[in-house]
Amino acid sequence: MIIEVVMDPSITALIILAGSGLTLLIAATLYYLLKSRSVRTTELYLSGEGENVVSNLSPGVGSLYYGFMKRFAKNLYKVLTESVHTGSLHDWFNFIASWLGLLVLIAILVLILMLTGW
Amino acid sequence: MDVSQVALFLFSTLVFPGFLFIFILSLFTQYLVRKISARYQKRMGPSYIGPYGVLQPFMDFWKLLRVKEVVRSRYSMQRVAELTLLIGIACITGAIVLLPIGVLNIRGPLDYLVFFYMASVMPILMIVLASLSMPGPYTSLGVSRLLSILTISEPVYFTGLFIPCFLATYRDPLVLSVSMTSHRVMDLWLNPVAALILLLSLIALVISLQSKAMYPPFNIPEAEQEIIAGFETEFSGPLLALASLLHDMDLTVSILTVVYIVLGGPAPFQHLTLGGILMVILKYLVLVLVVATIKNIFGRYRLEQALMQLLKYGGIPVLISVILSLAWIYL
Repeated sequence: MIIEVVMDPSITALIILAGSGLTLLIAATLYYLLKSRSVRTTELYLSGEGENVVSNLSPGVGSLYYGFMKRFAKNLYKVLTESVHTGSLHDWFNFIASWLGLLVLIAILVLILMLTGW
Repeated sequence: MDVSQVALFLFSTLVFPGFLFIFILSLFTQYLVRKISARYQKRMGPSYIGPYGVLQPFMDFWKLLRVKEVVRSRYSMQRVAELTLLIGIACITGAIVLLPIGVLNIRGPLDYLVFFYMASVMPILMIVLASLSMPGPYTSLGVSRLLSILTISEPVYFTGLFIPCFLATYRDPLVLSVSMTSHRVMDLWLNPVAALILLLSLIALVISLQSKAMYPPFNIPEAEQEIIAGFETEFSGPLLALASLLHDMDLTVSILTVVYIVLGGPAPFQHLTLGGILMVILKYLVLVLVVATIKNIFGRYRLEQALMQLLKYGGIPVLISVILSLAWIYL
């Protein structure tokens, strides 16, 4: 059984609008009933950082390291610039070899102590 | 309308062929498109939830709806976005009663214009408004691309549906009635000239369906590699569930509209008979298969390419179709 209803265009528009309004009411009710009540809002993030972090100027890791060294470890920074990073390969090798030589001596000493039962 | 007709109208709006039916059919259509795409790409597709994975889209929708975390920026207007998406869903389901699918058959002169406005213009307008309510750089770019494509695809879609309506009803008191068109369009397919006109309209409609659904090759508004997800980048959780549902409902109703207005719905069988129902299902499935196939065999066009192809394969056929229709009627 098919029920046919012929309508004026304006009445058709009103009927369709009424149907849409009713559907909107039902759909909105269902939506707000079914969606989770406890919502945890997260701010927009870019590259793993929040918008407030990314929108500010942020220093790179290298800049942080050298900034710390220059400001809080001046003597150490002096050693680095004057003894190691002079531009000469000999200075770098001397510095590394002296530390490595000390490490080798300590390693040999610990080995001897272990072998003799200490 | 008497009381029984009002009750029937409420049933038609809320259950069949209204809200509940369209909700289920749109999720099933999403399942079909995903399953067909998986076949083309030698994947399994949805397989685990329900028999043959048929409930997977519902589970996806449910999970998104129940998500507790909402990502938003300082300028997001989430309530406005929710409201606009719900209005889009309501407009689609309200307009569906004008298609002669269920027991109640509402018809009247010029109701095609009401139908098109509610079922085609409002949903896409609401998607655009919802996107602009959750602003972001990618969203703005996606929306601008979407609007560019709509400038061609919507007129093509409107004209492609208008031609069968006009040809079938221009001598009738119920001129441009969706329901009358659906009942008479099969007679037009039997006339060789009208069949050519309808075929050109059908080609244009399939192309515009592809762009309305934002499927490849017209998926530039949601290009993932360039703009993450375009117009829906800022949607998350329940809002994303609503946006996906509206998108699927829009595609579903668009395909149903083509089935009823251009292909005659249950024709050559009678409405609400077993043969008629099977015929509607067959026509619907064939159109979904065509849309999913085009989706999978094309890559993405750039914006200017997409516009040009839409104009070439959608605009020109529909223009020829209009000229042929006028010549057929007045000469």
